Amino acid sequence: MQHLIELVDLGIALAERSSRADLRRRLEQTKERLLDPSIRVIMVGEFKQGKSQLVNGLVNAPVCPVDDDIATAVPTSVRHGDMPAAFVLTQRSSDGTVESGAPVERREVAPTELADYVSERAAPESDRQVTGAEVFLPRKLLRGGLTLIDSPGVGGLTSAHALTTLATLPSAHAMLFVSDASQEYTEPEIQFLRHAMRITPNVACVLTKTDMYPQWRRVEDLDRAHLRAIDPDIPLFPVSSHLRLTAVETSDPELNAESGFPALVSYLRRDIVGQAELLQRRSTASDLLSTSEHVRLAIDAELGALESPEKTPEIVAQLEATKGRADELRRLSSRWQTTLNDGVTDLIADMEHDLRDRMRSIQREAEDSIDEGDPGPVWDQFVEWFERRVSSAVTDTFVWTQERATWLSEKVARHFTEDEVALPVINVDDTRDVLDAVGEVAELDSGRLGLGQKFYIGLKGSYGGVLMVGIITGIIGMSIINPLSLAAGAVIGRKAYKDDTEARLQRRRNEAKVLIRRQVDEIIFQVGKQLRDRLRLVQRTTRDHFTTIADEHHRSLADSVLAAQKAASLYAAERDKRVTALRRDLARVDALTKRAAAIDIDGSARPSSASPEDPRTVSAVGAARAKAGTAPA
Amino acid sequence: MNLRLLDEADALLDAAETDYRDDAEALRRIREYRRRLGEPIRVAIAGMVKAGKSTLLNAIIGEEIAPTDAGECTKVITWYRHGPTPRITMHVLGGAERSLPVRRDDGRLVIDLGGTPVEEVERVEVQWPSKRLEEVTLIDTPGIASLSTEVSARSASFLIPQDTPSEADAIIYLMRHLHSADLGFLSAFHDTSVGTSATVNALAVLSRADEIGAGRIDALLSARTIAERYRSDAALRSLALDVVPIAGLVAQSARTLRQREFDALRQIARLGRQSRERMLVSVDRFVRSDASIDVSPEDRVGLLDRYGMFGIRLSAVVIRSGCDDSTELADELYRRSGMQDLLRHVSDQFRSRADVLKVRTALTALGALIRQRPGPSSPDLANAIERLEANAHELRELSLLSAARTIGLGLAPEQAADAERLIGGSGTSARRRLGLPDDAPADDVHRSAIDALQRWRMLLGSPLLDRAALEACQVVTRTCEALVVESAPTSVQRSPLRLVQHPEPAVGGGREAQSPRDDAEDEADHQ
Repeated sequence: MQHLIELVDLGIALAERSSRADLRRRLEQTKERLLDPSIRVIMVGEFKQGKSQLVNGLVNAPVCPVDDDIATAVPTSVRHGDMPAAFVLTQRSSDGTVESGAPVERREVAPTELADYVSERAAPESDRQVTGAEVFLPRKLLRGGLTLIDSPGVGGLTSAHALTTLATLPSAHAMLFVSDASQEYTEPEIQFLRHAMRITPNVACVLTKTDMYPQWRRVEDLDRAHLRAIDPDIPLFPVSSHLRLTAVETSDPELNAESGFPALVSYLRRDIVGQAELLQRRSTASDLLSTSEHVRLAIDAELGALESPEKTPEIVAQLEATKGRADELRRLSSRWQTTLNDGVTDLIADMEHDLRDRMRSIQREAEDSIDEGDPGPVWDQFVEWFERRVSSAVTDTFVWTQERATWLSEKVARHFTEDEVALPVINVDDTRDVLDAVGEVAELDSGRLGLGQKFYIGLKGSYGGVLMVGIITGIIGMSIINPLSLAAGAVIGRKAYKDDTEARLQRRRNEAKVLIRRQVDEIIFQVGKQLRDRLRLVQRTTRDHFTTIADEHHRSLADSVLAAQKAASLYAAERDKRVTALRRDLARVDALTKRAAAIDIDGSARPSSASPEDPRTVSAVGAARAKAGTAPA
Repeated sequence: MNLRLLDEADALLDAAETDYRDDAEALRRIREYRRRLGEPIRVAIAGMVKAGKSTLLNAIIGEEIAPTDAGECTKVITWYRHGPTPRITMHVLGGAERSLPVRRDDGRLVIDLGGTPVEEVERVEVQWPSKRLEEVTLIDTPGIASLSTEVSARSASFLIPQDTPSEADAIIYLMRHLHSADLGFLSAFHDTSVGTSATVNALAVLSRADEIGAGRIDALLSARTIAERYRSDAALRSLALDVVPIAGLVAQSARTLRQREFDALRQIARLGRQSRERMLVSVDRFVRSDASIDVSPEDRVGLLDRYGMFGIRLSAVVIRSGCDDSTELADELYRRSGMQDLLRHVSDQFRSRADVLKVRTALTALGALIRQRPGPSSPDLANAIERLEANAHELRELSLLSAARTIGLGLAPEQAADAERLIGGSGTSARRRLGLPDDAPADDVHRSAIDALQRWRMLLGSPLLDRAALEACQVVTRTCEALVVESAPTSVQRSPLRLVQHPEPAVGGGREAQSPRDDAEDEADHQ
């Protein structure tokens, strides 16, 4: 990594010399990326499968709390640090829900006390909620920037966990899907795996607790068969964290080998870290190559004009023509702009339709079940069900929008005929705070009546009955209160009470429907706004991204034209001096180009080149850069 | 009392039979319900895949007959009922029956469908001469949430049918941890089995408790804590009567511990602490051929299959603490497996209520039938059902219990807890209802029953109760009365309270009805 940074520094100096601030900015970003290489690997799976213990086994230290009963409640990230340290992240919250946009407070705690904060048992503080934890450990495995994230299990009773996990996935480079050896994959597990794979393509599966189950090899075979049905390339690692920790305690290399961890560690090193480094390397190389090409264009043009003045008009004409084409890309009415604008408009319309469609089907379902029974007594459970359905529908919409947005930017990129166009970074599918703006569903009257109310309703009915019959019987000379009128009062009172019960039920149903409808409207409104905002952001990012590229091209070509024209008007003596200077610059650029190209070949020559592209051709550089561009930072 | 209930339900079905004599399909169904009333209670064993359903079934029967495997094993619904000789019958979809050969491989039944595809088999019925099965018919079901979706769907539609009552009267639900799929299933079972007369008739079992905490020796202690936590979980509480942890594998194998296995276990227990721990560090280590122990690797594989790591560790501890007899070890393992607890719960919650549960299923079924195919005297039948449901004290207890667990009774919390216990929320024996230890002397039981009765009578008089609470109080008071009567010592003549104010409930038979007359006669003698 160190020599890469040096090279980038060289490139920055070169851009500086040719006074190209735009190129310099780009390289500075590259350097930032190099200085903080964070490769996030997230452990996901159902609860109580041994995810925390797996992290502990990987770093050989009990950093993540392990318990027979209580499951992990918030994500814990473990990364490299010179001294062991632990931090708890808290956010201000009210009534158990985190306020959106509240600042995250980072507080250092003793590593041994971490369990008190991150497990389900943790006592909630009055107004702050723990949203995560960070642990720093001096470990060789983590030095390359590897960050291990222990996530709360999926499928527990608090189903929000599944969404939290899916929400953190887009920011992860890879995911380890953890399941224990007691049984083959279950249907919810495979479903989660399929869902998660749409978000993160880098997936490996881990079979834990092999020390416990005599038949783990059978289970392994069964699991492999299930995985083959999804994607034959997913690797599966049977491991035993218990053996690994025992092996470290007794420093027994044989036991360590039996634990299955060496294979997993080398997979993480070689395939995950290695590949991430390779991508990093490639994107750096391609940044450097394109910078040097841009710089060289001007130098070449000037040099050509100086060395053979008679050809100057020809060179200038050629450059002008290219510049014209590049200018075309810069214009507002250019084709890629149209594609982008149309695409985003379509996308917004589609996504609004999608959201509305999903919400409507939920609403229909909700109304059907309201009609079937009395919503009063079960309102709490009902609201819970409703919220769960809504959040999973919203997640689906966001994931889908992300896919469409990526596809759109690829389509825009096709307008740039050069094959080395990078794609912008798009991050739409993070659903963490989306539903925060939506309020809670209102309370519904549970339908229980007090004795007084019942009495009142009955009385109201019987009063009329007594009066009616009393007056009629009054005609034949009886008093208003007589046995007949009292009997009528009792009958009508009973009927009134019955009618009132039914009317109340009907009213509760209607109220419940109105509440649900209002909530659905609110959700469509709020979430729709969020989605539109994000898509606009996508549009802006994409436009800026491609405009920068177009600008760079334009600037290089304009510089070249200028340089060539200037060269023609130089005196002979100065001309020689200039040629020497340019030759020196050119040599420097060539050296950089060669070294940048060497990085790439260097990287691909390592055994780790698991990526499918052939890295020797220039277009592959472009592809690699495109990949680096879409990989979340 | 129970007999009376059964008789009345039977009479009702008889009346329905005459009513529907022209409707062949309805007649068939009514006859089926009637036959079911005379059979033992049906308890289905359900749960997610690999929860240990067949293992538990074997442990309950006490013989290893149901096949078990590391992969998904049970693929058809299998009934185990009592019969004089072993017999296996396959019921194909559409009604045909076929006898299957009874073959056993190492004790376990080999159910060979003889080329019939699994999808076409409705169920397999195993008749087996076993004492346990005389009182209860067990139904082994394929796991829910399985990757072979049709197998899961089959289980679900069997236990949670759309339009008819469930085939099972009660359910033992196995789970490893409380997964959301478990809750979903339980509430679906609750919903359909509830129908008109509500009840809670599921028992949740934390199976494979031995695997908690990597099979450590204190795994079952942890499991108890977990069960305790689930027991107080509001969601599960409304769906299951109780949560019991068991180590199914240990329970199943302890019943059939062989001398050869005992010898092997003793060898392991006698190893030095260090070498034993090294051997037991993982399953692969345990079966390694170069281990320094005089037990063949095949035997060790067998041990592991039958007892698991937890069972072997536990046996080693038990043997080292002075047990040197295979029967003694078997008893100790069985005692520690938690199986007894489970059986006690089954007998407390299901067997003692068997008739009530069966009657409830029959009444619900008949109600559904009447609604689907109304006949000439359907309203009368419906009324009769309603009357029976309203009058039978046991049925009212059941629905009150369900209400207590779901929507609440409308009483103060401590009163509600008291009521729930009295109507049999934690077991139907008098001592359990009164919250006394199982070995409490009869006098204490009687005294505490009288206390409870007075307490509840007082509450019944309160003018502040709303209707639901008042009904609850009435049911509880009646239960208390029955308890007082039941616990009344035969030799003692006192009891001014007894049946004077409420002579109506005929609970407990003629003995008590006799007593007042005896008193009267005594008085007459004196005069």
